[in-house]
Amino acid sequence: MGKVYVLGGAQTDFERNWTKEGKNVIALLKEVIHDALEDVEISYDDIKRLNRENRIACFVGNFIGEDYVNQGHLGALLTEVSSAFYGVPSARYEAACASGSAAIDAAITKIQAGEYDLALVAGWELMKTVDSRTCGNILGKASYYEKEAYGIDFPFPKLFGKLAEETVKKYELDEKRYLSALAKISVINYSNAKRNPLAQTRKWFMDYEQACHRGTETNSQIGGLLAISDCSQVTDGAAVVILASEKMTKELGKQNTPLVKGYGHRNAPMLFEKKIDEDNDSAYILPWTRQAVADAYRRSHLTVDDIHVFETHDCFTSSEYAAISAFGITEPGREYEAVENGKIAFGGEKPVNPSGGLIGCGHPVGASGCRMFLDLYKQVSGKAGDYQVIKNGKYPENAVMLNIGGTATTNYVFVVGK
Amino acid sequence: MKAVRNVTVLGANGTMGRNVAAIFASFGNANVFLVSRTLEKSEIAKEKAFLSVRAESIKDRMFPKDYKQLSECAAQSELIFEACAEDVTVKRSVHEMVAETIHSLPVDSAVEKIVCSGTSGLSITELAKIYEEPVRSHVIGMHFFNPPYQMTLCELTPTVYTDREFFESVMEYTKKTLLRTAVEVKDSPAFLGNRIGFQFINEAMRLAEKYKDNGGIDYIDAVFGSFTGRAMAPLVTANFVGLDVHKAIMDNLCENADDFARESFVIPQYAEHLVSEGKLGRKSGEGLYKTVLHKAGVKIHQVYDIVHSCYRETMNYTFPFSEEMISHLRVGSYDDAMKVLLRNHSAEAELCLENLLKYVLYALSAAESVGYNIHSADDVMATGFNWCPPPCHGTGFGRKRSISETVWGQNFRKMDVPAGTSKIVANDRTIEI
Repeated sequence: MGKVYVLGGAQTDFERNWTKEGKNVIALLKEVIHDALEDVEISYDDIKRLNRENRIACFVGNFIGEDYVNQGHLGALLTEVSSAFYGVPSARYEAACASGSAAIDAAITKIQAGEYDLALVAGWELMKTVDSRTCGNILGKASYYEKEAYGIDFPFPKLFGKLAEETVKKYELDEKRYLSALAKISVINYSNAKRNPLAQTRKWFMDYEQACHRGTETNSQIGGLLAISDCSQVTDGAAVVILASEKMTKELGKQNTPLVKGYGHRNAPMLFEKKIDEDNDSAYILPWTRQAVADAYRRSHLTVDDIHVFETHDCFTSSEYAAISAFGITEPGREYEAVENGKIAFGGEKPVNPSGGLIGCGHPVGASGCRMFLDLYKQVSGKAGDYQVIKNGKYPENAVMLNIGGTATTNYVFVVGK
Repeated sequence: MKAVRNVTVLGANGTMGRNVAAIFASFGNANVFLVSRTLEKSEIAKEKAFLSVRAESIKDRMFPKDYKQLSECAAQSELIFEACAEDVTVKRSVHEMVAETIHSLPVDSAVEKIVCSGTSGLSITELAKIYEEPVRSHVIGMHFFNPPYQMTLCELTPTVYTDREFFESVMEYTKKTLLRTAVEVKDSPAFLGNRIGFQFINEAMRLAEKYKDNGGIDYIDAVFGSFTGRAMAPLVTANFVGLDVHKAIMDNLCENADDFARESFVIPQYAEHLVSEGKLGRKSGEGLYKTVLHKAGVKIHQVYDIVHSCYRETMNYTFPFSEEMISHLRVGSYDDAMKVLLRNHSAEAELCLENLLKYVLYALSAAESVGYNIHSADDVMATGFNWCPPPCHGTGFGRKRSISETVWGQNFRKMDVPAGTSKIVANDRTIEI
C-alpha cells in the first residue's frame, strides 16, 4: 500500500461566532480552504489541473449540518466555495463527533489504493446557530436518541457524568481524588489553550479552585458528578488537512513531510449501558477505545514509548481521564497518577492536548477530528508556534490522536510522524 | 518590577473598579484590596466582581476595605490601581492620599510600587507630578475597556518621568499574566482607542443631525450597519456607553487635542440637549434610543427624532447597496462586498464609503500621533470596540483580524496619509476631509 503524507492545512479561529458575523457555511469554508491551500502552496488552478486527470478528491466531515444550518449534501456543497471544485469527487462522512476522522480515514484509503494523489479533507460544524438547549438536543442524536436522549435536557453531559460514576465504581477510586484529577485535566486544557492563538477559550479564566467549585453559580453541576468546567463548549469552526501520495509529494518538491503511520477504528456498543455491561471482562473502562489505540500502535509498529505528544477527545474531563490509560500512559485504574504528577501537562513526559483540546481549543463537532490531525502535523513538523512541544531540543517524532463519536462509540486513532 | 501578589484597587465600587479588580484576582492570581468610601460598598463590589470573570474562586482573593485602611493596603501592595470617578479633582485627592502613604514608606519599599490610573483621558503626567521621585517614575496610565473580561484592550501610558525598564516589565506583565492586548499610547487626551472610536461616533452623531430629514439617528446607524464590521452600530454604541461619557470625551478632546479633525469633536446641539435633560442612554432609560415595554409585554424600540424632538418607533432601513454587501459577506465574498461599496453611487453608499475612509484616515493619523504604529490602531479598535480594525476596510471587511501590511494598494489606488494631507483617492474618486 502507498504511503500517505500530510502536507498541512488550516483551522479557523474557534473563538468566532459566524452567525453573529452574518456569515454562513460557505464563508467558513472559503476562509479555511483558502488558508489551507496557502499553507501547502497549492492554488485553485492546481486543483483544476489535477482534476482534469482525476487525481484529486475532497472528503467532508460533518455531524449534523441538517439540524444546525438546514443543509445536507455537504460534499457537493464545496462547489459553492470555488468553481475549481466543479467535477471534483467529493462526499460527506458522518460518525457524530468523529466525523472528521471518518473523512480522513476515507481520504487515506483512497490515496493508499492509488485512486487519487491529493485529498482535501474539510471538517466543520456551525453550532451557534441555535440556543444551548436545542444544541444539546441535537447532539443527543449521537447517542441512541430514543433510549438515551429523548425528552432529556443536555443528554451528553449526563452520559459522560455516568462514565465518571462508572469509573469511580470500577476502580474503587476515592471520589474526591478522582474529581480533583478531573479538575486538573480541565485546568491543563484551559492553560494550554492560552498558548494557542486559535483556541476558543484563550481569553477565558479558569483555575483549579474554580474547577473544584462544582455546583456554584459560576460552575453549575450539569451531569451527575460533572460541572460546566468539565465540559467542552459549543463552538463554530472548521479545519482542513491536505493529504498526498508519495508521487504528489515529490512532484510538489516537498521534503521531510510527515506521514500517516497507522490508524485504529473500532466501534463499541451504541448504548452506554451496554458498554458498561461489556467492560466487566476488561481492565479498561472503554475496551474498544483501548483496542483502537492498540490497533494504531500495531499498524505503526510503535508503542506508547515512541509517542511524544497526544491529542485526545476531551469532550468532557471524564473522557480524557479514560483516554490516559487507553493510550497506555498509565495502567487502567491509575490514570490519576499521570494527572497528579504532571506527566500529561504541557511540559510533562507525555503531554496531552498541547492545543488545549476540546475543552480549551473548542469542539465544533464535525471539525474536531481534522483539527486534532492538523495539530499532530503541526507538532511533528515544528509548526505549532507557542504551543510547540519540544523534547530534548527536538520536535516530537511521533504524535497520536484519539477522536470519539457518541459515548466513545466510534473510536478513531491516527498516528502521524516522520 | 517586583512580582505582583497584592493589588489595591481604589474606587472598587464602580463598574470599572470592580471588574478590573476581578482581572487582577483571576488572571493575575493576586490578592485584591477593594477600597471604596464605605466598607459596605466594597462588600457589594466583592459580591458582584466575580461574576464578571465567571469564577467564584476569585472571591477568596478579594478583601473589602475602606479609605481608612488605605495606608495598610497600599503598604502591602505591589500595584495600586486608581479607578475613581473621571473627575480631575476627585482623582487628584485620591492620588494625594496614595502619595502620602507611599512617601512615608522606606524608599526601598516605596520604589517597588506600581501606581496606575485607570483614567480614560486625563493627563497621566499631571497625576505623576503629585508623586515625588523616585515613586514618580513608576506612575503610569493603565486604561481598561468595559467590560474588561470581554474587551481585552489595555492602553498603557508612560510619562516623561517613567522608568523605561520598569514600563517594559509592566507591559510584559499586562500581556503575559493579565492576558490583555496591551498597547503603548502617548499621554494624550482620550488616548488612542477612545480618540478613534468616539471621533467616529461623534461624526455619526453630527451626520444624524445633517440628515435629520432622512430619519436622523437610526438612518445613520443603518448606513453604518453590521456590514461595515461593527458588532454594534455607532449611535447604538453611544447610547450604550452613555451620552455623558461621550460628551466628556469629546469636550476633553475639544479642549486639549490639536489635530486636523478638531472640528469633528464638537457634539451636536440635540445631543447637548439630551444630556442636559438627563437622557443619557441605556443607563437612564432613554437617550438616542429608548425601549418601551408595551402593556402586552411587547418591547417597542424607539429612537429620538431630531426634527420633532420626540421619540418615534425605529424604522428598518434597507438600501440596495447594503443588502448586496450583506449577501456577499454572508458567503465570504469579501472583495465583492468591497466592490459594491466602491461602485455603488447611491447617496447612502457614498455617505458610508466617505465616512469609512475618513475613519481609516483618522485612525492612521491618530495612530501616528498617539500610538506608535499602524498595528496599534488595529489592536485598539478590534479589542476595545469590537469594531473591524480600520485597515480591514481596505481588504474588504471579511476577516475579524486585520492584515495591515497587505491592505494598501488593493482597493485604494493611492493613499495620502496624515502629515499635512487629508485626501484619499479610491477608485478614481477623491475624498477630501
